[in-house]
Amino acid sequence: MLIIKDLHASVGDKPILKGINLTVNAGEVHAIMGPNGSGKSTLSNVLAGRENVTVTSGSIEYLGQDLLALEVEERARAGVFLAFQYPVEIPGVGNVYLLKAALNAQRKHRGLPELDAMEFLALVKDKMKLMEMNESMLYRAVNEGFSGGEKKRNEILQMAVLEPKLAILDETDSGLDIDALKIVANGVNSLRHPERSMILVTHYQRLLDYIKPDYVHVLAAGRIVRSGGPELAHELEKQGYAWIGNEGSGQEVSSGS
Amino acid sequence: MSTAIAHYQSEFERLGTLLPWQDSPQWQEWRQSGWAHFASLGFPTTRHEEWKYTSLAALEKLALSCAPAAPEAPQPTWDALKARAVLPQARHRAVFVDGRYSPQLSQLDGLPAGIAVRPLSALSARDSLGLQVPLQAVRARTPFAALNAAFMAEGAWITAAAEASLDDPLLILYVTTRGGQAQHVVNAYHLAAGSRVAVAEQYLGLTDEAYFVNQVAGVQLEAGAQLSHVKLQQEGGRAYHIGALQASQQGGSRFESHSFALSGAFGRNDMEAALLEPGASVVMNGLYRVGGREFQDFHTCIRHQSPDCSSDEYFKGVLDGSGRAVFNGKIVVAQDAQHTASRQSNHNLLLSDQAEVDTKPQLEIFADDVKCSHGATVGQLDEDQWFYLRSRGLDPDHARTLLIEAFALDLLSSIGHAGLRAAMDHLMRGHAHV
Repeated sequence: MLIIKDLHASVGDKPILKGINLTVNAGEVHAIMGPNGSGKSTLSNVLAGRENVTVTSGSIEYLGQDLLALEVEERARAGVFLAFQYPVEIPGVGNVYLLKAALNAQRKHRGLPELDAMEFLALVKDKMKLMEMNESMLYRAVNEGFSGGEKKRNEILQMAVLEPKLAILDETDSGLDIDALKIVANGVNSLRHPERSMILVTHYQRLLDYIKPDYVHVLAAGRIVRSGGPELAHELEKQGYAWIGNEGSGQEVSSGS
Repeated sequence: MSTAIAHYQSEFERLGTLLPWQDSPQWQEWRQSGWAHFASLGFPTTRHEEWKYTSLAALEKLALSCAPAAPEAPQPTWDALKARAVLPQARHRAVFVDGRYSPQLSQLDGLPAGIAVRPLSALSARDSLGLQVPLQAVRARTPFAALNAAFMAEGAWITAAAEASLDDPLLILYVTTRGGQAQHVVNAYHLAAGSRVAVAEQYLGLTDEAYFVNQVAGVQLEAGAQLSHVKLQQEGGRAYHIGALQASQQGGSRFESHSFALSGAFGRNDMEAALLEPGASVVMNGLYRVGGREFQDFHTCIRHQSPDCSSDEYFKGVLDGSGRAVFNGKIVVAQDAQHTASRQSNHNLLLSDQAEVDTKPQLEIFADDVKCSHGATVGQLDEDQWFYLRSRGLDPDHARTLLIEAFALDLLSSIGHAGLRAAMDHLMRGHAHV
């Protein structure tokens, strides 16, 4: 599905990612954990195609193609989905309009006929039940005036509608109370599929109580310093991130898959 | 005398006897004083404070004919115009082609009781005198309003008797089909106490040749009267459009004005609302959109002359290419206009490095117990919003259009009249192409 090799990336003049190696196979869920400033969000942004991040060397192969050669929208149509840490408010653009335009852009790309309004509404209402969202949210502007929890649910709703092959969830748990976290996790779990891979980027272990990863990687100072199974997250929970200061500089560990 | 003034003087002399109501001394005096006023002021230059960013040099060079089209001149069909009309289904419409009223394109039968819509060309000298009431204040407002007073020959006079109402919006459509002409048209609204009128004035250019629409509107609202007004400029690529509007509002009256300057080489609007008695309120909103080398200028003024009045002013601009725009929003609150509530804002979206906007709020407040707010912004498309839409698979162009549309269409929600709002929404959606 996804093969990242020796990826180096900078924001401005500042190198943030300093040699990431990671392989994610179809159907796997990988968690990437790390303290603030370790490069987690930069990695999400590189995968989604954010222009303020410059890849200085290395490669990312996605389903056999060079991901870095694809524009943002081409990645989305090819099945890459980023659930934003801070979903953007877009006054004046209807939530339902965006969902439909996004889905139809993908369908067109895949050579499928576009859905008409009736078909689309039936589909989206079904997915909204899963996210325990009120239908009225469809007719509001994208994320405008949504609470933190509503924004995150809206992200997962988009994911449910778009059915990506690779989903990157950037700090999806941040700002959620326990009830909202359960709903979001439930939505994400229901989207687990042998053909769908997920990367959960998170600071805290809490999310991983609800979404069980197959692999956990620890990112520090732009490198993956440890990889392991779900038990690694528990270890981090107990010990915090302080220990990585000692092993962060030299050791380099490739992905566990 | 400048060449331009000399040209208009010779037009004034040439057309003298062709202009309506020649046998009326009041109208003769009206035209003569209009001409004298214009001739003494001349074309404003950028040395003039009110015209600092607005050059008329190119308009001055054009030797335009001030004669309305001949009655037998060819006209487009209603079927052809309908596709462009903001109110294609309007029950009542007054259509003017090249500065002349077209009875065959218009439909003014069956107006509600107490409502009259009359083209100027249909008025006798005696009947026409009432027209001077709503036009009195506007005729000296700008040099071009004075020029209009000298030449005015056509337009629409809308009157409403006390408590009468025209809720199904009236369409007043001015179509220009050929270049070389200067049209001096007027719209006069006189609404008696408690009456209500909804209207869309649309200016539509169907030629790429240069022409000049010099337009004046006078609005007289008696106690409790309400005018919902949309003005829509969709002039041709080399067209000049200059408008002046003056509203005089009595107690409890409400004027809702929405201006949309969507195309034309050059546009300038001077708009003023005077709130003369307690409880009067005005909404003065607008959108200007420029691309290429287009220019639009809104100079607005709201005069709070009495206590307990309110004004809301909201203008937005979308600027692309080498387009330029000017917004000058003056609010004057007189000393005894206590409890005034006034809000003004102007937001601009710059889509290119060459586009330029000059925005200036101008508050002159002489009362001490008032709530007045104002704000202006100039910004670019939000990169985060653009990225977000693209990250969901939308084409960059589609995402951009959506964001421009969202910025511009936000204004439509402030149109209080549902029919006018729906019509503008239909017209604007998918047109935010700039």
